[in-house]
This record gives sequence, structure tokens and C-alpha cells, in this order.
Amino acid sequence: MSIDMSQFYQVFFEEAGENLTAMESLLLELDVQAPDLETLNAIFRAAHSIKGGAGTFGFSDMAEVTHVLETLLDRLRKQELDPTVEMVDAFLQAGDVLKSQLQAHQEGEEYEDARVAEVCEHLERLARSDEGGGEAPVSSADQTESETKDTATHWRLAFAPAGIGQGTPGERQALFEALGELGRIQDLGDGESERCLWQLTSTAGRGAIEEILAFVCEPGQVQIDTVETPEASAETETETETAYGFFTDAPGLQGEASPDSAASAPEPDQDALGYGFFEGAPGTEQGTEERAEAPDATSTPDQPQEADFQAEAEIQESDGYGFFRNAPGSEAALDQEHRGYGLFGGSPGMERVAAVAQQDRLDDELGFGLFNPAPGSPESRADDEASAATGAAASTKSAPTRDGRAASGNAPKRPATTDSSIRVSVEKVDQLINLVGELVITHAMLADSAAGLDPVVHERIMGGLSNLERNSRDLQEAVMSIRMMPISFVFNRFPRVVRDTAASLGKKVTLKLVGEDTELDKGLIERMADPLNHLVRNSIDHGIERPEARLAAGKPETGEIVLRASHRGGSVVVEVSDDGGGLNREKLLAKAAKQGIPMPDNPPDKDVWQLIFHAGFSTAERVTDISGRGVGMDVVRRNIEDMNGRVEVDSTAGRGTHITIRLPLTLAILDGLSVRMGEEMFILPLTVIQESIQPRAEQFKTVVGKGRVAQINDEYLPMVSLHDVFNSGQPEPDPLDGILVIVETNEGRAAVLVDELVAQHQVVIKSLETNYRKVEGVSGATIMGDGRVALILDVDALVRLSRRGG
Amino acid sequence: MNDERREGSAVATDSAREYLTFTLGEEEYGIDILKVQEIRGYDAVTKIANSPDFIKGVINMRGIIVPIIDMRLKFHLGQVEYNEFTVVIILNISGRIMGVVVDGVSDVIALRGDQVRPAPEFGSVLDTAYIDGLATLDERMIIMVDIEKLMTSQEMGLVDQTHLAVA
Repeated sequence: MSIDMSQFYQVFFEEAGENLTAMESLLLELDVQAPDLETLNAIFRAAHSIKGGAGTFGFSDMAEVTHVLETLLDRLRKQELDPTVEMVDAFLQAGDVLKSQLQAHQEGEEYEDARVAEVCEHLERLARSDEGGGEAPVSSADQTESETKDTATHWRLAFAPAGIGQGTPGERQALFEALGELGRIQDLGDGESERCLWQLTSTAGRGAIEEILAFVCEPGQVQIDTVETPEASAETETETETAYGFFTDAPGLQGEASPDSAASAPEPDQDALGYGFFEGAPGTEQGTEERAEAPDATSTPDQPQEADFQAEAEIQESDGYGFFRNAPGSEAALDQEHRGYGLFGGSPGMERVAAVAQQDRLDDELGFGLFNPAPGSPESRADDEASAATGAAASTKSAPTRDGRAASGNAPKRPATTDSSIRVSVEKVDQLINLVGELVITHAMLADSAAGLDPVVHERIMGGLSNLERNSRDLQEAVMSIRMMPISFVFNRFPRVVRDTAASLGKKVTLKLVGEDTELDKGLIERMADPLNHLVRNSIDHGIERPEARLAAGKPETGEIVLRASHRGGSVVVEVSDDGGGLNREKLLAKAAKQGIPMPDNPPDKDVWQLIFHAGFSTAERVTDISGRGVGMDVVRRNIEDMNGRVEVDSTAGRGTHITIRLPLTLAILDGLSVRMGEEMFILPLTVIQESIQPRAEQFKTVVGKGRVAQINDEYLPMVSLHDVFNSGQPEPDPLDGILVIVETNEGRAAVLVDELVAQHQVVIKSLETNYRKVEGVSGATIMGDGRVALILDVDALVRLSRRGG
Repeated sequence: MNDERREGSAVATDSAREYLTFTLGEEEYGIDILKVQEIRGYDAVTKIANSPDFIKGVINMRGIIVPIIDMRLKFHLGQVEYNEFTVVIILNISGRIMGVVVDGVSDVIALRGDQVRPAPEFGSVLDTAYIDGLATLDERMIIMVDIEKLMTSQEMGLVDQTHLAVA
């Protein structure tokens, strides 16, 4: 079985596109004079989602831009800064850049433009605008402008990491990435020595570099030198011949049947050969053109980048693969060494390369070539993972500068899928589901009218009807199954997420996947990705302790995160559990008090754990790109509740945290119990119903004369009367004639009083919001057998409503 | 403000446009026919809790859930009774489908922009924001309603305002 990774890409493209559009409209709506906090939050969430997705899929350029964007937004959101028109403009520009990047990725290319650095810098400047008093914004704007007109300069940065508090690989990596936002950065050091040597190719001036460094150290501690550009181009010229070596191999690599020498065969042990690595490049098909292009390149305006690229290659050559050991923060890169894809070692795309290759290896074990059809990878029948990885590598930052020109007239195409499946838009499937739903309803109506007929006289009608029933039920099942997909579609991205996150935090974590075959609705699968991503990253960041701490606590050094999916009744349960430190009750309560969240004295654990779902609630001391902004859990809960699901947290100090997500099997169909209240019918989802009882008079009690409770098995449950909540206008019938339905809500159990239980149905969920708006206490509507509309009750909201009303 | 409106309608209606007219009590109203999807009888509606009285509820129209608004209740006009002659005009307003109950549908008329006169201001007595103007046809006065503006207004509460902003 092979899973098409590009399918996930498509999801990301769509999601990111939607998020960008939403962000833009929210920005346009934002009133700078009186900013609405909710709008700012929404913008922030959109940016955060894009960043998360981009990070997961290795579109590091997008992640970088959104990170900067997010930093500024975060400050606005926390009201540390007041939004200005300038900021909104900058956000919109950033949005445009992201759109272009997205577009480029979608076409399997890479977006390279001075605008990216410019926008990032602008945003950063805005984010710091209240701190950097020494620097007048106007002058620095001028500076930026003039600088961007210049061609890229090569800066060489030398420093002793320990001396400036950048001792750990993680910290170095952060700085490395921050600098990487200015341009292309590479590590020239050997890692062994006390000093780091980085080369930055950027259009930004010394000022911008110093500004970033100023965060970590005194300017004097880092030595910044320019490297003459001519030197680089000279290198290129001398290098041209050697460089040809790469390209000549390229054309031969299109097919594995190449009779060429071993050098061209895409073999996993490519490290021995070293530079076959262009074979997967999108430009490969144009290999010959490329050869022609290359000499030109040395005299084109693009020269610095190209020159740098080849210079890099040279370094690689002379250094062999030792090069990599210095790549900051990259245990992963070390692992890659034997693969030999290190050529991009110092480039911003490195992470991606490493990650891709790494994923490949993981997949190897699992048995699928998950990344093979990665965008940008040419249609290469050389299914060898090596070529897949290099293909992906080629679409990272460095390659396309060449490729973009070589292949400009002949854009690389996405790989065509060859397996026997078709991709149909979800809309079409939904339409099909709707139609089948209609058919089922029509059948029910027919059956209703035929019920009065004499079965003997109308035997054929009756026979036809029962056939119709069977067929439509089969049809419904078949159509629903189109939407069902194994949850492995989301789960499979997590080995990568876990590895990356753990590595960047210096923790040891293994991931265990259980029940990947569990099937659920595709819509749900897509929407699960974000929340799960947050949960897993949270678990690694906050849950799992550092190896030393784990050992000290008598636990194995390596933490374990388990992702488990299973069917339970009519719902799917997805659990994320870790064996980390668990939630800290005191810390949570202290934080709640600080944020002014009202909590009763000595609240039960369950209530304390729910605190983590508050917007803006984070107990992390530092904001990292992994967590700490307090947005994650808020989004998690929101997303899951949007899917009619619920989240539960359970935690034991020192033993770990267990998060359970309960979801309906599908978004489109619901198992429900129809209940009558007066003239109206309502549907109660079966998943929330625990039991139904005929009440006795002594079970009804009141509190303070008003609040009604029902005593059920020694427990007093709040009672919700549909008549009260929905102001039916009719006199409430004697509760003793009604039925109490005990339901499970977010806030514990409750008893719902209805007039009568009617029947159990499978109902097709229709949205009320399509043509109307959200109605409190109701999650949707459906059409009953007689063609009438019945509302589907949302018990959580009902309980809230009833509390307010009472 | 009146000038503005006149200008606006003159630009928009160089040639004649068609309007569907309907009656509410003694008054005759006209709406842009392009916004009308169909006309059907009044069916049993499902009430929606805690909604204003002029929102009668929702109906199932071939699998689509459609809210029904009684204009007679909204404008406090006419006898509110529901029988087999009660008519519902199904509107399609920027993709959203909704039905309005009226006393009766009379005609489809064509009007040029210059035939529509601006409505006088009624001050606080009557909100004329949703009234495009008044037209005369065979001695009858027809009140031209900007149905889209009316139906998406906050006052009607038919549409989540946030939803509108995004859409």
C-alpha cells in the first residue's frame, strides 16, 4: 500500500488558502481605532494554523514568514501594542507573500523574492517598534529600501557560541533560523571547535544582522565581515567545469534504465558518489538546456545566488560530509550523513531535506514511500527513495533559483497518479450524499402513504417498496463509505512531527500508533490534523520531561507518546497520551487566578484540567515556535466542538497526561432518538443519551424554589425542560406524564424532560446556518420521514440555556 | 440623501427592470424578480425556539432547510392567517434561500428607473432604509423594497452578522 503524500499537501494548500483569505478579510475588517480583540484572535489563529501546517509539511519559507507575522500579532493580541494602519498594511503584504509562496508550492516550485525578506524585516521592526527606541523607524525604512536595491552581500559571522549564551544546539538553531530569515545562511564551521562560522547571503545590511544578534549578545562579540562577491563568482567560474559534472548526470537519471555509469544510477548509497543529487530536480527534463544555461548563469543578474550555490557545492566537495556535523541543532542531519544529501547543509532548506529523507527512512520501515510524489519531484519512475528525497530537496530554496530559469518556459508538472483511484471533489461526494439522503426520505414518505393500502391487493407496490428500501439503504452505506478513510492519513504525519519537535527540544521521545486502520469521515480526518498536531507538540514540549529529569524520576530516559484510535459505539475515540510529568495543578490554578478566571476553592481535578482550554492560557514561560502562546488548546477545543466532538483531559502527576477526543463517525449522518415536545419533534443524538426513565413524583426536587433537579440513583441532576428552554408557549404538561432522558454533557450529566420518546433514526444532518443562522440549543436540523423538519438538540447548549433561563 | 438615491437608481436602471409585486394588507410591494426563486404554498413549518415572532420557522424544500418569514408580522400589516391560499415567495439572496409569507402575489411589472420616485422621509415613524422608492402603476402605488438589504439586515436577525462579514 502506498500513501500519496501529495494528498496531504493538497489539504494543506486548501486549508492555508482558506486561512489566508479569512485572515485578509478579517484584516480589512479590523478597525484600527477600536480593534476588536476577537478579530485579532481570529487573525492570530489563522496565522498560527498556517504556520503549523507549513511547518509540518516542511514549507519552511512559509513557516518563517508566519512566525514573524505571528510574533507581531501576538503582541497586538495581548494589547502590548496598538494596531496601526502601517501594521495592517504589513500584514496584508505578508499575506500576499504567503499567497505567492503557497501558489509556488502548489505548482511544485519555490517562491524566491526579495519581498519575503523585506516583509519579514518590516514586521519584525513593527513588532519591536516600542523597544527599539534608538532607531528611528523612518531612517531604517530608508535603509531597508536602499539595501534591497543592492544585490546580495555575503556576510561572514564568527563567534564563540558559549560566550554569548548560545551554548546549546537548540539555541544556536534558533539564532541560525532567525538569521536565515534575512537571506540564505549556511554553516561553515566544523562544529568541533569553540567558534561558529556562518555565512549569510542576504540583501539585508549589517544593521539588520546586528539587530537580530542584539537579542542574544553584544554586537562586539560577533565578528561580522563581508565576503567579496567577486570572490564567489570567481569561484563559480573555476567551478563551472566541475559543476557540469552534476548536470551531465542529470539527464541520464530520468529513467532507471539508464545505461550510464554507476554515477547516474540513483542508488541509496549515493553518498559514495556524492553529487548525483540534481537528478530529481524539477529541471531534470530540461537537463540539456540547463547545461547550456549554466555558463550563462555566471554573467546574469542572478549570479550571486547561483554563485553561492555552486560555491556551496565546492565546500561540500572539499569538506566531504563532515560538513554536516556542524549544522546547528541537527541531530537529524547527522543521521542523514550516510545518505549524503548534505549538500544543502547550511541552506535554509536543510531542515526540510533532512526531514524528508528521514521520513523516507521511516517509511521504509513502515513500507510506504510516503513522500515519493512530493511536489516538485519530477515524475521519475526511479522509485528509489533516494531520488524522491533529492527531488524534494531540489524544490527547497537553493535549487529553484536555477531551476526557475531553466524551466521557466516549461513548468514542472505534478506527478500523475497511476493507481486505480480517482480524485473527486468533496463537493460532488457531498452532493451524492445529499441526494441519497433525499432518496431515503422520499422512500419513507412513500412507505408512509402506502401503509394504509391493503397488502394483498397492492402486493406489487409493497414488494417494490421493500426492494427500494433495501437498495436505498445499501446505496446510502456505499456512498457514505466513499467518505470514510483510515485515520492513518493523519497519524502518519506524526512520526515526523514527533522527531522534529523532540530533536529541537533536546528530548527523547518515541511515538506509538495504535489503531491506524480505524475509519472515519474524510472531513473529520482533515479537521483532526490541526488539533492532533497541537496536542502532540504540547505533549512533547510540556508533557515529556528532559532525559535527565526522567532518569531522576526513575522513568526510562525515552518518553513515549501514544496515539490511539478506536471505534466505540457510534463514535470514534482518538487518544493522545504521554508518560510525562502530567499537568501541574498548582501552576494551573495560580495562572487562573492571575488571569482572573473564576475558580471555586479546591475545585475537582477535572475542572482544573479544563483550564488549559482557555484562550490565551499558557503556563509555558517562554514563547517558542512550538508552544507557549496559549493559542493551541483553545483552537483544539474549538475545532473539536465544531465537529460535534468533545475533549477530555486526564492527568496524573508524574505519570503523564491522557487526552481523549470523542468524535461522531461522520459529519453527515447521526444516530438519533426522536422525542416529542408538544407539537414539535426533536432529535437527541444517541451518543449523548445514557438512559431514559419514567419519573416518579418524589424524584423531582427544587433548589431555592426555582432550580429544578431530578434525583436519579442517588445523584441530583440538573433538569432541563424543553418546554422552558424553547418557550413553547404551551402550558407545560405534568412532568409525571413525560420521560426523563439522562444525557451526558460537557458539564456532567443532566436530565432532559420530554413529552414522549418516538423512535430511533439515522438522520441526515442539515445545517441551519446555510440559509438561516445558528440557533442556540440546536446543532442542526434534519428532515423526517413525513417531510417535516426536526431540529437536532445540542445538549451542552441546552444545559447552558436552561441555567441562564432558570 | 434623496438625491443620492435618485442618482443611484438612475445609473442602475437605464433600461426597464422587472419586479414581482405582492400585497400585504392594503399595500402593494415590489421586489426585484431576479431575487425570486419560486412561489409556493404555505406548508407546515417547524418552529424555532427563541426567535422573533415574524420568523415562523423552517421548512423542508426538497431537502434544503429554508427559514420562513411572515412579512405581515414583520410590517404589522394584514390579517395573519394561514390557509391553502397563503403564499410563500422563495427568495435567493446571495446564495441564501429564504421564504417570505405574503397575502398574495399580484403581478410581474417592468419599470424604468425614472418611474421610481424616492420615498419621502418618515422620520422616526418608519425606517425607509429598505425602501428604494415608490412607483405608480395604473393609479396604484407600489413600494419598491430592497429585499436584499432588508433580509440581511441585523434587524431581521436572519443572518449571523459575522457570517456576512466573512462571506
